[in-house]
Amino acid sequence: MSKKRNNRKNSRSRKTSRSWFRALLGPLLKLSLVLAVIAAVGLIYLDAQVREKFEGKRWALPAKVYARPLELYPGQQLSAEDFRLELKGLGYRSVSSVSRPGSAHWNGGRVQLVTRGFPFPDGAEPSRNMTLEFGGQGLQRILDDRGRSLSLVRMEPVLIGGIYPQDNEDRDLIRLEDAPAMLPTALVAVEDRDYYSHHGISLKGIARAMMVNIRAGRFVQGGSTLTQQLIKNFYLTDERTLARKLLEMPMAVLLDLHYSKDEILEAYLNEVYLGQSGARAIHGFGMGSQYYFGRPVGELSLSQVALLAGLVKGPSYYDPRRHPERALNRRNLVLRLLHEQDKISDAEYEEAVAEPLGVVEQRSLQKGAYPAYLDLVRRQLREEYREEDLSSEGLRVFTALDPQVQSRAERAQSTTLEQLEKRYGQSAKGLEASMVVTDPQTGEILAVIGGRDSRYEGFNRALDALRPIGSLVKPAIYLTALERGYTLATPLEDEAFKLKLPNGDVWSPDNFDNKSHGRVPLHYSLSHSYNQSTARLGLDIGVDKVIDMLERLGVERELKPYPSLLLGAQALSPLEVAGVYQTLAANGFRMPLRAIRSVTDAQGQELSRYPFALRQEVDPALVHLIQYAMQEVAREGTARYVYSQLPPNLNIAGKTGTSNDQRDSWFAGFTGNRLAVVWVGRDDNAKLPFTGSGGALRIWTDYMRREHPEPFYATRPEKVEYVWVDDATGLLSDQRCEGSRQLPFIRGTEPKDSVDCGQLRRSGNPLDWFRSWFQ
Amino acid sequence: MKKLAAVLGAMMLAGCVGPNPYVTPVEDRSNRQVTTPPPPGSVESVEPSPGVSVQPIEDVPVFRPQRETLPESGSINVAPTEMPASEPRNAAVVALLDTANRNTQGGDLRAAQNSLERALRIAPRDPQVYYQLADVQRRLGQFMQAEQVALKGVNVANGQPTELRRLWSLIALIRSDAGNGAGARAAQQEASRY
Repeated sequence: MSKKRNNRKNSRSRKTSRSWFRALLGPLLKLSLVLAVIAAVGLIYLDAQVREKFEGKRWALPAKVYARPLELYPGQQLSAEDFRLELKGLGYRSVSSVSRPGSAHWNGGRVQLVTRGFPFPDGAEPSRNMTLEFGGQGLQRILDDRGRSLSLVRMEPVLIGGIYPQDNEDRDLIRLEDAPAMLPTALVAVEDRDYYSHHGISLKGIARAMMVNIRAGRFVQGGSTLTQQLIKNFYLTDERTLARKLLEMPMAVLLDLHYSKDEILEAYLNEVYLGQSGARAIHGFGMGSQYYFGRPVGELSLSQVALLAGLVKGPSYYDPRRHPERALNRRNLVLRLLHEQDKISDAEYEEAVAEPLGVVEQRSLQKGAYPAYLDLVRRQLREEYREEDLSSEGLRVFTALDPQVQSRAERAQSTTLEQLEKRYGQSAKGLEASMVVTDPQTGEILAVIGGRDSRYEGFNRALDALRPIGSLVKPAIYLTALERGYTLATPLEDEAFKLKLPNGDVWSPDNFDNKSHGRVPLHYSLSHSYNQSTARLGLDIGVDKVIDMLERLGVERELKPYPSLLLGAQALSPLEVAGVYQTLAANGFRMPLRAIRSVTDAQGQELSRYPFALRQEVDPALVHLIQYAMQEVAREGTARYVYSQLPPNLNIAGKTGTSNDQRDSWFAGFTGNRLAVVWVGRDDNAKLPFTGSGGALRIWTDYMRREHPEPFYATRPEKVEYVWVDDATGLLSDQRCEGSRQLPFIRGTEPKDSVDCGQLRRSGNPLDWFRSWFQ
Repeated sequence: MKKLAAVLGAMMLAGCVGPNPYVTPVEDRSNRQVTTPPPPGSVESVEPSPGVSVQPIEDVPVFRPQRETLPESGSINVAPTEMPASEPRNAAVVALLDTANRNTQGGDLRAAQNSLERALRIAPRDPQVYYQLADVQRRLGQFMQAEQVALKGVNVANGQPTELRRLWSLIALIRSDAGNGAGARAAQQEASRY
């Protein structure tokens, strides 16, 4: 009974608890079901997110812009010193014995090196172990590692810049196997010791971090795994919110669930933020290695790897350029951890700790060193590509930029400007200058300087400064005259005149020396840059004809037919001037100036190319005559200065230019393989204390002195004949007569009547004498 | 003798005219009439034409003393510059031309073009490079460019008859491919001059 009662009692109490439980169970079950469903949906959603982003295109890849690859071949005019500079630009290590790509060993005029190889659009250039021998004539021999001689090798091109996406993230993707094995090891050792054993999050890590933090009394260590760090940077925003923190963990677990440790680590290597260069954010170890050490990540030494791994914690706090002390401590801490965890030997540790930081100067980096050239490249690309493709598709852009030419031009410009300032004092303060260098044979643009500070990414004077070209216009006028029947010996009148303009103004050009020179032969008027004779000549043949010639030579801008155009009132940019002189240098063949050779996609598939193209615009025979007169400019005219500095066999052809009131100083000229246009002036357009020959010509000459260019050879076209003429009268003369010079003429246009210095009376036969008149 | 006769004839005709100081300037002045009127709205001369006045060539002979020593070609201020004798072709260029040839035979014209442009940068004065490049462009159907490149080849081949003959024959071929029969014949004629 009691038992029963008890039982009943028990059953009652059980009943009450059960009913309480039951009462709760229903809603609880429902709630947890709902929660589970929500969680599941959330997880599925998160999972989809995690997978979608990880498997899709992970990063916006900036277009990579490359300089020209250096071609190496026996007989090439390349000095050992030039090659040393090229290797420096490519970040080669100088070592005592070469083994790995990117290392070189110098021994006098010989260098042994292992190149890196490069996947060019027209075929891959393999990595080679080779020896180069330099001599007085340049590169003598190239031998491979078996002693066989090679006829042609292409070095890898220097990466000179990129076109960045909105967020300015710059990265260079690497694969895990590209990285030195020690890099992941070091990262794991310093950032996440249990990486290979945890499942995305590490309770051990969190506990350890908490212990450390409690002991230190402040926050010194986070418990984030590498996986969580990747999630944080890759998927989530920068905000430090609880929601973000809550999402981080499940996402890390999901990521770990779906992908291998190596895949996740590879993504981490490419995602991590490693520094800041102006607006450009350096992401990933591929770019980080280039940014700090100027070489690919695969070539880094142990100590360099340790530094990069250490930087992850705080790229600006440990910035090795700004805080070398902190960086060194951090690097050594990483090395110590590696040593403690038996990842490196005692000897390796000792050696690595003893090494300096080895970070290259930011200034010596090729990337960012060519803002004016890149500006030109970008403008040309925008004509064909969408901005977002340029900044996200990882396009490769191969340009014609020659870093060595650019560096010589920059040095010439900066040293000469300093000299000018020293010489002219206050009146030469605030000078600006710009320069364009091309290869007159191919029309490729080799160098562009946009202003005095050649690293400044601002106003690009080479492209955008429109300045009156002064006497640079004259070769076009004289060429027009030659085409219309004048000869180099035609006498011109250098006399003052007045011309009433439609607006009522009277135009009366003056010569630079304020004198008129009377009757002068056409070639002389050009080489001495006389204004009055030129203006008369130009008016006589017609301003419209001159404009037509300028357009044929390459000017695309609309030109106004004012008589002042004849004295160079028309404003052009240095690049436009280079286009005109290019046609003159290329014997009348006009070719578009090219900065870009080709563009490929990230896989190396060619998207567009810019082939060698040209069109004959002026008869080469006529251009030959104008080239003669332009050589005279350098031999005995306004650009005589060049031969005080340069070898006489260069046969330089060019023209000085000074705009009205001496506001612009120009020189445009060429040798056999280099054409350079230099402008010097001021942004506020103030007067200069020198002319074209006093300013721009000095820079041009200094550049050519550094360049050691090939001489200009003007081969005589069949239609052209050289005859001796009398300077003063333009009559036929003879080598034996005083005052004679040899001038080229289009066959049949040479003068018929001759001066007499007795050269005709060789024999006693009067008929011979008579006949010789007409030979 | 023929020349002399012609000259004598001309002299006699000139004699009939008498000592006219305005005869036979070297340059062709025929365009002068055309160009003197300034383009509408731009220039108006306040003087009689400010253009070049032609120096009367008079019968009065101009005398000059003779030089003590003859100027050497090299010492002349501005010398007519001739190319130095053409150097043997660089092995690198030979290799590139060979590669281009193989590519062309194999039908990979783009690759051939690439090799030839590399060769062009190394040896821009070698007519053979222009020859092959023009031929590749011809095969690509880019006749305009092909002809221009070949013409540039003619320009650099100055004084090399063999090269000139080959280049003009190529131009003839390009023109006939482009359907320009008359032009092709003219080019062929040009080729036969060498």
